[in-house]
Amino acid sequence: MTRRRRPLLSLASIAVFATVFLVPFLFIALTAAKTRAEANRLDFSWPTSFALWDNLVAVVSARNGMLLTAYLNSTIITVASVALLVVFGSMVGYVRQRRKSRWNGLVDFLVLAGLMMPPAVVPTIWLLQQIGLFATLPGMVFIQVAYNVSFCVVLTRAFVATVPRELDEAAIIDGAKPLDLFFRVILPLMKQVTVTNIVVQSVAIFNDFVNPLYYLPGNANVTVQLTLYNFQSQYTTQYNLLFTNILLVTIPPLVVFLFFNRQIVAGMTAGAVKG
Amino acid sequence: MADLTLQSVRKAFGAAEVIKGIDLVIGHGEFVVFVGPSGCGKSTLLRMIAGLEDITSGELRIGGRLCNEVEPSERGIAMVFQNYALYPHMSVYDNVGFGLKLAKTPKAERDARVREAARILQMEHLLDRRPAQLSGGQRQRVAIGRAIVRKPEVFLFDEPLSNLDAALRADTRMELARLHGELGSTMIYVTHDQVEAITLADKIVVLNGGVVQQVGRPIDLYQNPANLFVADFIGSPKMNFAPVEARVVDGGRVALVAQGGEELMRLPAGAPPGRPQTLGLRPQSLRLDPTGPLRGEVEMVERLGNETVVAFRWNRDRRWLAALAGDHVFRRGDAVRFSMTEADAHLFDENGRRVPLARRGDVGVT
Repeated sequence: MTRRRRPLLSLASIAVFATVFLVPFLFIALTAAKTRAEANRLDFSWPTSFALWDNLVAVVSARNGMLLTAYLNSTIITVASVALLVVFGSMVGYVRQRRKSRWNGLVDFLVLAGLMMPPAVVPTIWLLQQIGLFATLPGMVFIQVAYNVSFCVVLTRAFVATVPRELDEAAIIDGAKPLDLFFRVILPLMKQVTVTNIVVQSVAIFNDFVNPLYYLPGNANVTVQLTLYNFQSQYTTQYNLLFTNILLVTIPPLVVFLFFNRQIVAGMTAGAVKG
Repeated sequence: MADLTLQSVRKAFGAAEVIKGIDLVIGHGEFVVFVGPSGCGKSTLLRMIAGLEDITSGELRIGGRLCNEVEPSERGIAMVFQNYALYPHMSVYDNVGFGLKLAKTPKAERDARVREAARILQMEHLLDRRPAQLSGGQRQRVAIGRAIVRKPEVFLFDEPLSNLDAALRADTRMELARLHGELGSTMIYVTHDQVEAITLADKIVVLNGGVVQQVGRPIDLYQNPANLFVADFIGSPKMNFAPVEARVVDGGRVALVAQGGEELMRLPAGAPPGRPQTLGLRPQSLRLDPTGPLRGEVEMVERLGNETVVAFRWNRDRRWLAALAGDHVFRRGDAVRFSMTEADAHLFDENGRRVPLARRGDVGVT
């Protein structure tokens, strides 16, 4: 009985989820191709004239090529944050998994706190201002690292458990110092979880709207997500340009995700069984 | 090459003392085997010598040099692990040469030493492969190669043959013996398998509960075990034991009487009468004898071709093994009688310690 019903049930659920996920994309693509008047109607009609190219030009050249500056800023922040996150997050995860020390409880608590507690924005802004890093790209990088390092540590720690301790010992007997041991033996064996970290954090940081809004004000500092504000104002919204912007902003993370989909899942579940 | 000495070495994990004061001297070029049941502390002792565990108290000297606080890579040791611990992301060549690369050895010298080790172990054709592409025996050879290339003063082996199948184990055992002969290095080998211990060792250290039970040549441990534990541990099949009582009989000799009242044998002297003692007889020392003192009933027979192992019951509930040369056919329930000579008897006092027996043929004994 159950055997016969299953294909129908899975087909039905696929259809439902496909609709839920694909329809918004379709809407974005359609609206991006319309002229301003048609787009403002916000309906699911086929565009009468294809204004996609004009919209693209308008979006890219808006506010003196702000979109291009935004891409550059987003890329710098993402690359720098992810590099620091992967290296330092892995180091903490590795040490925490291997070493038995009385600080372990405290470290676990701090990592968990980092995962659970929402950040206090205003005090953090005040702190950044005191250090002189407010509204600067390095400051933004530090913020992203601080907010995301807990996740990296947790992922890494689960995975390092699958690397046998004898490898560490063999390397120590071979004369490896701690940094040699980490970079030459441990990190190369953690490729799976490193890729997962890179992909997940890249997408999250690139897509981040709120944190650049708080910590990175100013036209020169604009990130990709913030450019969406260009086309919304109190009285009018140019929906065609807005949606073209959304299209341009959504595509890089989508591409990354499509290519590295398998690595993400594999990396996330790799530590799960051995624990 | 060096001596290795342990002086009153102790190891405690928190409140639990695992190694309870060990004194040991290992000479240059000796093949020493630490043997004992699981949990006896032999691996811990090996790791303390390697520097992977701290020594709680006591002194470890390698080549006369105090090494308690010295880094593992500077003690002049090399270790072969039970599950090989090869670096999965490196080729065999890089695995073997990793230590030299870390020490910034010049490339030419590194290459020469890696190839030399490969030649000794006959694995030149494996140098470009990854560990995942090797069989268990090949991985073992790479692990040994990685140790050889360091030119250590002491080789440490932590149960290296446990993960190999029986046939490969026998072959690799002979290879290790050949390696020892060729290199002449001091080797310390840890195993729970007493057959490996007896065949490979110049000197065996039997451990139990963190204490050394006996140290000696394999043949000495076999012929003169110092206590019940060693007698039980060494020898396959295991030694048979029975509680006996010593009674003085005519002529000043002592008869050993089993609990059922059967007199098993007479000894010239040495067994103090009156106190409870344990008689030990190896299965190989029992001989079929229709007039023998040991009467039993056959329970199970193992015919091994060159030898027959008979499990029999005597004295109502005591089960012993007899290993008879040649092939014998028995059925379950057959009555059998065995005799044994006093030369084969081992006697242990109520604390399990060996009672020294004067044997006929010794000076001054009739």
